[in-house]
Amino acid sequence: MEKRLIKKETLAGIVGELAGKMRVCAPMKAEDQVLFRVLEAGEKPLVDFANAKNAPKNFFFPRTETLLKFTRTGKGMVRAGEPEEGEKTLLFGVRPCDARSFTLLDMLFDQEKYKDPYYIDKRAKTTIVAIACVHPPYTTCFCTSVGGNPTDSAGVDLLLTDLGNAYLAEFLTPKGEELLAAFGGSPSNAQAEKAKEGIAAKAAAEITSHIPAHEIKPILDTHFEDPFWNTLHQKCLACGTCTYLCPTCHCFDISDEVKRNDGIRIRNWDSCMFPMFTKETSGHNPRSSQKERWRQRVMHKFRYYPDNFNAIACVGCGRCVMACPVNLDIRKIVTDIAKI
Amino acid sequence: MQNPYIPAPVEVVKIVTEVDTKDIKTFRFAFQNKEDEAAFQYLPGQFAELSIFGKGESPIGIASSPTQPGYVEFTVQKAGVVTSALHEMEVGAVMGIRGPLGNSWPIDFLAGKNIVIVGGGFAFTTLRSLINYMIDDRNRSRFGKITVIYGARNPGLLIYKDELAAWAKRDDINLNVTVDKGDADWKGREGFVPTVCREVAPSSENAVTVICGPPVMIRFTLPVFFELGFSKENIITSLEMRMKCGIGKCGRCNVGEKYVCKDGPVFSLAELDKLTKEY
Repeated sequence: MEKRLIKKETLAGIVGELAGKMRVCAPMKAEDQVLFRVLEAGEKPLVDFANAKNAPKNFFFPRTETLLKFTRTGKGMVRAGEPEEGEKTLLFGVRPCDARSFTLLDMLFDQEKYKDPYYIDKRAKTTIVAIACVHPPYTTCFCTSVGGNPTDSAGVDLLLTDLGNAYLAEFLTPKGEELLAAFGGSPSNAQAEKAKEGIAAKAAAEITSHIPAHEIKPILDTHFEDPFWNTLHQKCLACGTCTYLCPTCHCFDISDEVKRNDGIRIRNWDSCMFPMFTKETSGHNPRSSQKERWRQRVMHKFRYYPDNFNAIACVGCGRCVMACPVNLDIRKIVTDIAKI
Repeated sequence: MQNPYIPAPVEVVKIVTEVDTKDIKTFRFAFQNKEDEAAFQYLPGQFAELSIFGKGESPIGIASSPTQPGYVEFTVQKAGVVTSALHEMEVGAVMGIRGPLGNSWPIDFLAGKNIVIVGGGFAFTTLRSLINYMIDDRNRSRFGKITVIYGARNPGLLIYKDELAAWAKRDDINLNVTVDKGDADWKGREGFVPTVCREVAPSSENAVTVICGPPVMIRFTLPVFFELGFSKENIITSLEMRMKCGIGKCGRCNVGEKYVCKDGPVFSLAELDKLTKEY
């Protein structure tokens, strides 16, 4: 693996220059928020930021995505043309928790049987440049409880760690190595790599929010019916914000839109928090109240995903904790389940 | 990479209105492309997404048998947006089929055993597929006695009437058709499915029951089969849930960690016992 040292003041310019040559998505200031968006040529991304409000899963699994197109004929609507394929993209400024979420989404969308070509195409064409959390940005961060780490390289092609005077750039994969020329820098050295080790240990120690995420699996296995679920959901407004901001939530709806003689079949993010999500044509709804929907959300992340993929479907980014309008805190929920 | 979201184009080649209320029709489709037809290798119990561009998709069990080449059939009740659009279609119309999806009735497990088929109402479609599969000349010897108990609310709601008449003439099926309440012309059996099951009393010796019907029928029929000595491993059923993708990604049809679209829809009662009761 190639390692380089990159002068701190040059980083934003390097990425800005790349934005003139390829599609670059990066965290940018948008009013009082930081959001991932596509950069204009020469536009410099943020390099000092906490984390983006939105999870970057949008770039592989867009909020709205055309699956296929169709057109009217005398015998009915027929398929007409393919949606555009994804283009080569640099996704810059991803935090390690969000980069890990891509490896979790891969498990679902890139299974042996039934591969999702839309996701896989965009994922294959995207290079992930992550910036390690030298100082984990929020008190709500809990990545270390769910298998992550503030300087983790899972899902990352090029990992940048701020050493104070320079970034240590670790070109982890062949895709990452394609960026060697563009990022330049000087050869790394033992001193820098030792400094990184110290920074990594310190960063992990700075995460003070710990939850028993792994410990609750056997409890969930045997407590599908438990009084615990009767009250958990009571203040939930069913707004779905938690699922829309979640880097690992992947549920979607498929619907058709027609204008005159042409139409598209699209998929949109959907949410297990919504009553219509499981409501059948007959009127029957197997998850008939918010109680069942909350149970599904917790079970899916901490029991079913581990059952199916041997991984917890949570990266500890804390977005759901920060954004919930009624302060439903997944950390408290998991902690409470451990006490059942 | 094969794209599982793209339906194969098919043409409606035959439509049969099954019931007096005219809201259940059987649609026969022929594939427009030979390669799509060759790729559509299915077993009884599987389903497919019927795809009408501009309306959407609806997951429907396959009613034909793979022993009947050249076409696929689906029996569809008019209920929502897609199925209502389908019911408006005429022979010659073009639409799409995406599949086959899901597991199937466990053919290898059923082979060599006596098979009891129990169906209620319009949930008889994939059971019809299974019956036609088993009684095909190439397959009949692989299965033991076949007992069929099929019921509807009234004679006008029985589906596949011509086939029921044909099966009744065969000596290798014990066919028991019943209606909750007959009419002036009805000469057959009257009685609810659970009652008829008790009267027919199929032996549980080397036997498997395959049951599909409205929840209320299943609830009252299962105790009869337990009394007859059928174990939960030997009672097989099929679940229905709201679905979109049909390939275990969109996240809505799971029962516990199993996706009904991908891991089901067919489960034994023993398997269902291990899952959460959320369907």
